[in-house]
Order: sequence, then C-alpha cells, then structure tokens
Amino acid sequence: MPVSEIAGAFASGLTEVFAPNTLGLMLIGIGLGFVVGILPGLGGPTTLALMLPFIFKMQPVEAFAFLLGMAAVTATTGDITSVLFGVPGEPTTASTIVDGHPMAKKGEAGRALGAALMSSLVGAIFGAAALALAIPIVRPLVLTFGSPELFMLALLGMTFVASLSGESLLKGLIASGMGLLLATIGLDPMTATQRFTFGQLFLWDGIGLVPITIGFFAIPEIIDLAVQRSAIARASVEKLGGVMEGVKDTFRHIALVLRCSALGAYVGVIPGMGGGVSQWLAYAHAVQSSPNKERFGKGAVEGVLGPGAANNSTLGGNLIPTIAFGVPGGVMTAILLGAFTIQGLVPGPSMLTPEAQGGNLTLTFSFVWMIVLSNLITVGICFLFLRHLAKVTLIRGSLLIPPILLLIYIGAFAEKNAFPDLLLVLFFGVLGWLLEKFHWPRPPLILGLVLGPLAENRLFLATDNYGLAWLTRPGVLIIAALTVAGAVYPVLKRRLREREASRARGRHRPRKSRKLHFDRGTLFTLAIAVAVGAALWQSRTFGFRPGLFPWAIGIPLFALTITQLFLEVTHGRELPHAAQEPAAEIPAHVVARRTAVIFGWIFGYFVAIWLLGFTVGGVLSTFLSLKVGSRERWPISLAITFAMLAFVYGVFVSALHVPFPPGALFDWLGLASP
Amino acid sequence: MRERRLAIVAAIFAIACLGSSAAQAEEFYAGKTFRIVVGLSPGGGFDTYARTIGRHLGKHIPGNPTVVVDNMPGAGSIIMTNYMYKVEKPDGLTMGHFNGALILGQVLGQPGIEFDARKFEYVGAPVSESVVCSLAKASGVASIEQWKAAKAPVKLGGVAPGATPDNSAHILRAALGLPVQVVSGYKGTSRIRLAVESGELAGACWSWQSMRVTWRKALQAGEVAPIVQIVPRPFPDIPKVPLAINLAKTEEAKQLILYGVQNASAYARPFILPPGTPQDRVRILRTAFEATMKDPDFLADAKKARLIIDPVSGEELEKLVAGVFTISPALQAKLKEALYSK
Repeated sequence: MPVSEIAGAFASGLTEVFAPNTLGLMLIGIGLGFVVGILPGLGGPTTLALMLPFIFKMQPVEAFAFLLGMAAVTATTGDITSVLFGVPGEPTTASTIVDGHPMAKKGEAGRALGAALMSSLVGAIFGAAALALAIPIVRPLVLTFGSPELFMLALLGMTFVASLSGESLLKGLIASGMGLLLATIGLDPMTATQRFTFGQLFLWDGIGLVPITIGFFAIPEIIDLAVQRSAIARASVEKLGGVMEGVKDTFRHIALVLRCSALGAYVGVIPGMGGGVSQWLAYAHAVQSSPNKERFGKGAVEGVLGPGAANNSTLGGNLIPTIAFGVPGGVMTAILLGAFTIQGLVPGPSMLTPEAQGGNLTLTFSFVWMIVLSNLITVGICFLFLRHLAKVTLIRGSLLIPPILLLIYIGAFAEKNAFPDLLLVLFFGVLGWLLEKFHWPRPPLILGLVLGPLAENRLFLATDNYGLAWLTRPGVLIIAALTVAGAVYPVLKRRLREREASRARGRHRPRKSRKLHFDRGTLFTLAIAVAVGAALWQSRTFGFRPGLFPWAIGIPLFALTITQLFLEVTHGRELPHAAQEPAAEIPAHVVARRTAVIFGWIFGYFVAIWLLGFTVGGVLSTFLSLKVGSRERWPISLAITFAMLAFVYGVFVSALHVPFPPGALFDWLGLASP
Repeated sequence: MRERRLAIVAAIFAIACLGSSAAQAEEFYAGKTFRIVVGLSPGGGFDTYARTIGRHLGKHIPGNPTVVVDNMPGAGSIIMTNYMYKVEKPDGLTMGHFNGALILGQVLGQPGIEFDARKFEYVGAPVSESVVCSLAKASGVASIEQWKAAKAPVKLGGVAPGATPDNSAHILRAALGLPVQVVSGYKGTSRIRLAVESGELAGACWSWQSMRVTWRKALQAGEVAPIVQIVPRPFPDIPKVPLAINLAKTEEAKQLILYGVQNASAYARPFILPPGTPQDRVRILRTAFEATMKDPDFLADAKKARLIIDPVSGEELEKLVAGVFTISPALQAKLKEALYSK
C-alpha cells in the first residue's frame, strides 16, 4: 500500500470526525462517558452495552464516534472520583486511589487531579498512536503469544510484588498469596468444581474487582475521615490550586508516563488483559522505578501518573486485536465488537484496506482521532472546573460521609446488579481496615487477585496443549529471564542499600530482646494463618486439577504466614512498623469510640438498604446519618437528602433502569414497591 | 394490605377468565413496563438477542408496554433462572432469558440448579443453534476418515464443562470413537479461533451460524474446514460434510448425539416466564414473540447485528423440554460419563 494512500486515509479520518452529526454524537457520547466515569460502580462496559441498541440507525462513523467517545473518557473521569473520594470511579481507576487520595488528604487534590488528567491525555494519545502504527504488524504480534507465553507474562507481573511490598517483603508476599488464593474462589474453569463457594451461588463467578477495591480503599477512608473529624484535605488550603503543578509533574516524569503508556497499550493488545490489570502493573512499575519507594502510598505523584497513563492507553491497545481480527482485547472492546457486527463491518484485513478497494481504512483511522479528540475535549473541560472540583476536599467530612456511604453501596450493587456484593464490600472493608491498621500492604493482594485467574487458566492450557514442552519455547525463555531479573534485582538492591546503611551505622546491631511479644497485630497475623490453614484444609477435597493451584499457593503461603507470626512473636518490637506508630493527636479512647460509631453507620446503611431497598432505605439512612450522626442542621440535612433522593431515583432508577431489589421488609409484608 | 392485593390478583384472574382477553390484556399491559432479564453479562450473545428483541417486542404486545432489558449475570445464568423460579412474581411482566443447556444440566443433576425446567412457561426461542466441527488445515486432518485414523488425539477447544464446544467434542469422542482431546478453559470462541490460528489447537465445534460469519476469512481461504456437522439435515452451504448421526454405529451412540447435542440446539436460547403465569398472558406473549420474529423491522435489525433468526415456538420448546426428562437412567449415566468425566 503506498504511503500517500495511508496518509490520505489518515487525514480523511480526521475530517470525517468533524462532520456535524458525527461530532454531535461524539459530544453526547463524551457527556455520557464523563458522568459514568465519575459515578462509582456504574462502569464503561455496562453503559456501552446499554447504548448499543441506539446505534442501529447510525452510520458507522457516527456510531463509533458515539461509542468510542464514551469509552475513551470513562477512564479519564474515573480518576477524578478515585482521587477525591478514595472510591474507584471505574474498576480500571482503583489504583489511582493508592497515591492520588493521600495527595488529596495532604491538600494536593488539585495537583493530583492535574497529574491524573494530563497523564490520562498522554496515555490516550499514546494508545491511539499505537493503534495507528501497530495495525499493519498486529497479526504476528498477537499470534506469537500462545498460552505458555501468557502464563509467563502473568508470572512476570507477579514479580512486581517485591516493590509493592513497602517496608516488609514478607508481608507483601503473604498479601499477594492471599490475593492469589482469593482469586481461586468460584468455579474452577477447567472442571467446574466449586472452590471456597460455601454453597453460595454468587461466589461461583469469583469475587469481582469492584466490591473488593471499594471495600479495601473506600471503607477505610470513610473510617479515617470519621475518626479525624476533618475535611478530606488535612493540610493547608493554599496548595489546592496546584493543577498546573500536576501538569508539570507529568512532563517532569514524562519518561515514566510514556513507559506506563506503552505498558498499558501492550497489555491491551494481549487478549484477556484489560485496564484492570494494566493499571496495577503500571502502578507497580512506577514504584519499582522510583529511587525512594517509601514515599509511595503516602501521596507520591508518580503513583498517580503511572496508572493514569496506562488505563487510558489500554483502550487503544485493546482496539488493535479487535479491529485486526475480531478478538476483543478487553471487556469494553468485546461490546464494541457487537457494534462492528451491527454496523455490518467485519473485523480483519478489510478494516485495513483503503475505501477505494472496498475496505474501511478511513474508518479505522477515524477511531484514532476519536480517541484523541474525545480525551482532549474531556481534559479541556475538566481543567475549566478542576479548581472547583478540588474544593470538594475542603468540605467537612461530616457532610461528605453520608452521601459517599450511599454511593459506595450503589457502586457495589450496580456492577453486576447483585445484592450479595454489598456483603463482600462489608467483608473487604473490614479486612482492608485491619490491613491498614496493622501495616500490611494492600496493592500486592489486588495484584494477586487480578493475575491469579490468568496464571492458572493459561498454565493448564499450556500444559494441556504442549505437555512440558512449552517450557522450552523461545518466548517462554525470554520472559523467564526477564522474570528472574525482575525478581532478583530489587532484592539485590535492597541488600546493597542495607549493607551500606549498616556500614554507616557501624557494627551496632539492635539489641535483641528475649521477651515474647503478642499484641493485636500478632492476633491478626494469627487470624490470617488460621484462615489460610482452613482454606488448605477445605481444598483437600478438590481433586488434582482444581486443587493444584490452591495447594501450590496455599502451602507456601501458610509457611510464610507462620514465619511472619514467629518473627512477630520473637522480634515483635524490632520489626519495622512497631516503632513507627505515629504519635496520636486524638486520644486512643476517642479514636476507639468514633471508630465504633462509624462502623455502626456502615452496618446500619447495609441493614437499611437490605430491609427497605436502595431508594427508601439508602436515602433514609443518609438523612439519619446527616441529622443524627453528624448533627447537621435541618436545612442542610434535608437539602442533601433530597439531592441524593433525586440522584438515586432520577439517575439510577428512572434513567438507567438499574434493577434495585425491593427491601426485604416489603417482601415479607407482601408489598411490592421498589 | 396483603388481602387487598390478593383480592386485586383474584379480580384480575376472574376478569381474565371471562374471555375476550385481548381487550383486557390491552388494559393490563397499557402503561406498564415489561422487563426482560438476561442471565448473562451485557454485550454477549444472549444479551444481544434479548436487546434486539426488546427493541421490537413492545409494539406486538397489546397495550404497547415499555420494554426494558436488565442483566442478572452469574453462574452461567443459574442465578437468574433460580430467581425466576423461586422469587419473581408470575404476573406476566417479567421474562427471563437463560442458557438452555442448563435444562440437560438439571436432568443430569448439575449442582446449583434449584429450578424445575418443566414448570416454566416457554415463550419461544429466536434461534435453533446447530453445531458444526471445523479443523485447521495445519492439523493434517481434512476429512472424517483421516480423523478416525489420526494417531494422536485431535485437540479441540473448550470453554467450560457444559458449554456447547465442550459437550460437542466430548460426544464426538464418546459416540463416534474419534480420537479427541478436549482442551477446556478458553474464554469464548474468539479465543479458541485465535488458538487454532496460532497452531495451539486443531479445531473446535460450535454453532455454524456463528462460525461461518466470525471465521469467514479462514473458511474461505481453506485454512479451516468443516469436518462433521451435528445436525438433523445438512446445511445447504456445506452439503457434503457428513452428519454425525449417520456415522453413529449403535443405537446408544445415536441417542448420545441426539440428547447430548442435537436436540439441545433447539432449546439453547429460550425465553421463559415464571411458573404459574396466567395462561392468557402466556398466550399473548407467545403471539407477540412470534409476531416479532416475523417483523420486517426486527429482521432488518437482526440482520445488521448478524443474529440468525430461526425461531422455535413456545409450544415446541415445551415438548422438547418434556422430552429431555424422559431420558432413561441408563442413558443419563452414559451422558454424564461422556460429558463430565475427564
């Protein structure tokens, strides 16, 4: 194909996007994507599926402008919710919370948002460029990745755990093992054996990423907010306007942003790995490549930039195999594939053939422009309002907690329309709070959870297809070398640094106390050990194939947990965290009382929603929490309550037809009202 | 309150029984919202059928209710189907769409199923899925004779136990004695296609209606070829590809093919109402469903979305489902062995 022809198609792809109808529909799509991205729980994939029926009457360019406009911006605006409230706006923006929300707490919400948006834009453009460039070479790129290579990639991803572990590698390993073990909950994909489902149907498909991330990050934040009795931003106000600072950060760390964009695009190309995985790999990479890892989790801007770029570039990457041969890279593109068929387009070579020869090359290139333009528009609009958005963090927590709690439960429900997911949020909320309290890192657990199913699935596919011969495939060997390097390097570096540090300190080794040590942290570790032991005991009946993965993880995990327990009991006072307990500004008994009260509200919301449904129970508990819990004045309490009622009813019930279950109480009384 | 509601329900029953149901039904459905609940995730095949039908069904129901489509995914649609059976009110305002393979699952004692498929009211199915097995040229097997003679097992892709590609492959092995190794765990037929093209798998079996569209290029180029079809009559576009049922040597083998794959294709994608739905509403919805299947606007949409429309009526589904429950215990054991054991 002559270059001039490609360039021509590339240019006319842009002009096609600017046709009035197309541009108008794209703006509508962007508007929808904007809102959906901000709303927790309601994800891009669901909304895309809901919008699919509307494209029957559209031209192909119009249809894709509408859908891609929507798809492209959800990851961008989802970051906003993650940063401001610590609740993931999209499943793919959960990792932005880890450092983005602490920045907001430090009073740097503006900077975090500026960084998130700017890196999102760079990521989106990178992904679009990758799409434009990769289309001709995509086929060999994807076909070289058989099941063995995909398994090795999952393994490579796991080595990032080392750098995500923070102060204690052992705790990080245990956390990631817990994630891998949690990932085995559900039906085993090969034999449909039930693993750890406790006879509950809702656990058959495993634990969703949404309830676990909401529980892990949002619930502890709410508790913290309630205990501190402050606004989200704890620090001085004048730093709020640091939006430009965030933009500058993006270019200060442009190499990292580009690397994470590349990572996101590449992960996107591999079928089955979408933004859910790429964000965490990008976060891990940001930590790994930083010289001072201890800043992470406490508000390091690199922790925002990496995922911000990666979750946006993933869409461009995902589109590559979708367009080239109809194999969707991720969930969103699986639904976009439906749009291809509705529009009578066949993914494959014809998408790469110029119009003159009966192909759709111009349309394919217009996708590139749609991704770029919709992100430019979104980021532009966001920057206009960013200062106002950031001010949300100055609102006192007592006003924010009641509506956020309702949003948490709605978000948990709306992903799968499954009520039991609310229970999971509660469970993981408590677990997340305990992990935070006893200084266990949470990101390794999530990494294990997202990579576990992929690793297990592809390991069995590889073995079934090739026996053990897959171990000698060149691709496998190359990735294996990278994995070993990735695993050994941080450990070596740490050793080296520790040796230097101890040399600097001289030969003084800390005194060993012979006293045994046992506190609530030790009790928690003991509980983990018991849980892992119980899981192992239960898994004895699984049979060889479904049992292999739980055993392969469970046995070393149990050993590691026992080791940790032993260390805590014998060396408790010397372990890193023990000495670092920050001097409490609030007396311990006040903290305990406030924690108990907020837990009461968290459970209260659940019970109210369970008994009275989302509309009545959810809104009622919002009101009670405002009036009784926060002792707000009547006008404010009523205003927020009515705003939430209008929001829940208007957006979720009327406009989106989210099938909220009627309250259990109505059911018992035989009344049928939602 | 409960009594009042009962009274209303009783009154509605009484009115309904008085006949001239069309006018009453018009009153009943006018201004109401009719829900279709899909037991699988948004964007998949089941969802696409339901949403395309949902766009047109309303205008064929007297009173023209608003039709909305919801998803209640989980456990391969078992959660939704259990819900339809145990919880959902039989008021004719909610219709479920689930994976019909669960019906055979119920007979064979699949865990988790808490419904009795015989008690549902069947509205209809938009398509009867017909399975064809295709192999890559690179596998070295280009005909059923070569397959029989193959020395190493031929690797066929699977999704999960009970799924069409898995069941078809297991039945081929059990009924025809073909050397087959089922490699299960691929997330959907698109991943299987990719694995075949990269040489990881030899081939796979699933509905020809879908395969001939999604795999068109490879089929046209001869890189992939249909080898055997598990259908009662050959497809017009592949008349020479042999029928599995004709290759079966024993009565037992025929039964395995018939109950394991072939009959199941007709009830693969059923639309159902909760048990106890008033019969007049069942009739109205069946008529509306049939009318939708003939609606030119609907057919145009379906064609655009490449959905094959080959409808099965509610009455037919009822008979087929009843038939599944007549499988003898001996055949049940054989099917279980063929489908679920390794």
